[in-house]
Amino acid sequence: MGVLLELIDLERTYRVGSEDVHALAGVSLRIMEGEYVAIMGPSGSGKSTLMNIVGCLDTPSAGVYRLKEREVSSLGDDELARVRNEEIGFVFQTFNLLARADALHNVELPLIYGGVGPAERRQRAEEALHQVGLGDRMKHKPNELSGGQRQRVAIARALVNRPSLLLADEPTGNLDTRTGDEIMALFAQISASGRSIIVVTHEEEVAARSRRIVRLRDGKIESDLAVAPQAQTLAAGG
Amino acid sequence: MAIDFKESTGIAFQALRANKLRSLLTLLGTIIGVTAVIAVISLVQGMNQYVSGKLLAQGSNVFWIDKIGFEMDNDKIREALKRPDLTLGDADALAGVLGNKAYVKAEASTNSQIRYLEHKMQRIEVKGVSGNFQQVDDQEIDNGRPLADLDVQRRRSVAVIGSEVAEELYAGLDPVGHDLQIGNRRFQVVGVAKKKGSFFGESQDRYVQVPFGAMLKLVPQTPSVTIGVKSVDAGRIQQVEDETRAVLRAIRHDRPGQSDSFGITTPEAFLGLWRNFTATAFIVVIGVAAISLLVGGIVIMNTMLVSVTERTREIGVRKALGARRGDIMLQFLVEAVVLSLVGGALGVALGSSIALLVGLVSPLPAAVSGLAVGLGVAMSAMVGIFFGVYPAARAAGLDPVDALRYE
Repeated sequence: MGVLLELIDLERTYRVGSEDVHALAGVSLRIMEGEYVAIMGPSGSGKSTLMNIVGCLDTPSAGVYRLKEREVSSLGDDELARVRNEEIGFVFQTFNLLARADALHNVELPLIYGGVGPAERRQRAEEALHQVGLGDRMKHKPNELSGGQRQRVAIARALVNRPSLLLADEPTGNLDTRTGDEIMALFAQISASGRSIIVVTHEEEVAARSRRIVRLRDGKIESDLAVAPQAQTLAAGG
Repeated sequence: MAIDFKESTGIAFQALRANKLRSLLTLLGTIIGVTAVIAVISLVQGMNQYVSGKLLAQGSNVFWIDKIGFEMDNDKIREALKRPDLTLGDADALAGVLGNKAYVKAEASTNSQIRYLEHKMQRIEVKGVSGNFQQVDDQEIDNGRPLADLDVQRRRSVAVIGSEVAEELYAGLDPVGHDLQIGNRRFQVVGVAKKKGSFFGESQDRYVQVPFGAMLKLVPQTPSVTIGVKSVDAGRIQQVEDETRAVLRAIRHDRPGQSDSFGITTPEAFLGLWRNFTATAFIVVIGVAAISLLVGGIVIMNTMLVSVTERTREIGVRKALGARRGDIMLQFLVEAVVLSLVGGALGVALGSSIALLVGLVSPLPAAVSGLAVGLGVAMSAMVGIFFGVYPAARAAGLDPVDALRYE
């Protein structure tokens, strides 16, 4: 297994009024391909900022971010867009599906921006929806789907372009416990298939499903621990 | 550049459907602008066709000489009326010099009451003609015969009547051979002219044509005549016109340096006036259309800005999924253009309907030209592009992190 991503002394500073806020104050982290990592921390710990930078939505003020051995910290807007399109699949707390578009079209979006032709696009989107168990809901609009189904559509959308990394932000935050469990089971399946996953969460149960938990506090890494296999079994059973 | 075309066009149409009143108001400016352009271009083209058709019906190789000429200015017309009359003698002299290069006719007219039995018509134009009037006028006879040279030479009291006079005065009866009372003189109808139709609502078939000498008996004094000249060779019309001017100046003793004591009117002069008029109409319409399109464009821009704000989060999502600046820019531009094109299409439909309706209820051949439709569509598309650029650039420039956080 190679290195998926590497952060070296990463800093991100915001200017709020006349004061500089150090959202990230020197974070170094290395994640290997195929890992399933949870990033935790109280609000204000910098975990959202870290997620934005790892997801190439934002760039660091200082430090180095290498994704698949490519330096991405200094890329321009359009290059970052390409990296997001090809390497990263986002799953959001609020699903962020396009309300007007049906499930199929929502899943096709990354392929549209990836320049995939209509026929192949459709085929791959259908495939992705089948994989998340929504083969019979392709023509449904988001408001015709349950919360769990919506998040499945979002996961299908995140995976359809075969990204190196699935990046999820509180994926169960808007779901009831049972549906949340289903989604986490789906994550476990995806991880088992070899896809790298990073989940940003403040829920211990969600984090416990991963194999490694990175805790942030005040813009720094507080701890970085492997999850005991026992805890995983317990969480899966509960 | 990748574009979610289905979404862009779909969103535009959906927005239009969702709120029909707001959509109508949004597109009103564009609709009015395009409607104005289509309707006016079609109508002016129709009128052009109509006017030149009518003016050139006599052939472009004909011109007329009278005291005034082609003059619009009242003062100049008053001045021109003081010139010595044009006479039959002038026409004869001119005919003599031009020889077989041209046909020359002379004509003068008066208005008179005409009567057949108890049927009367008031203020009918009675034209007295002489010379080669048949060749110059291209007159066609439906029934009976035209006036003959002998009728003119002998000043016979015979008449050819226009088709409307025939219908109204003789009501179904064949007028040929019957009496026609003009003023207090008795004429005999020898022919009925073929129907010519109307020109701007004025009938061209309400007249009586008699020999020049016979007409003189109806008026207290000899009026100034109008001379018509038709060049036998259409290609040498200019030469004939120049020669006519020289001959008339000589006969009428116009001194060198002094202006002509007569006026020459060519079909081109009428067409020139008409073109000036339509050019003015075009400028007015371009102004109206420009203002409408400007207002329409601003409204569309406003709608698009609202749309961008409402969909900030969507833009963030699209960017997260890999949309580049250009992709977002293009998406909103397409939406703006679809909006304005719908307005343009409605304008084309409305403008065409107006033009066709006018064509139906008036004699104008108001055909909607492809040029007008193309222009309307192109204009509305340009409005969409021009006024869509700013909102689209705003959308494209959004920071993905901020956009995703937007509530």
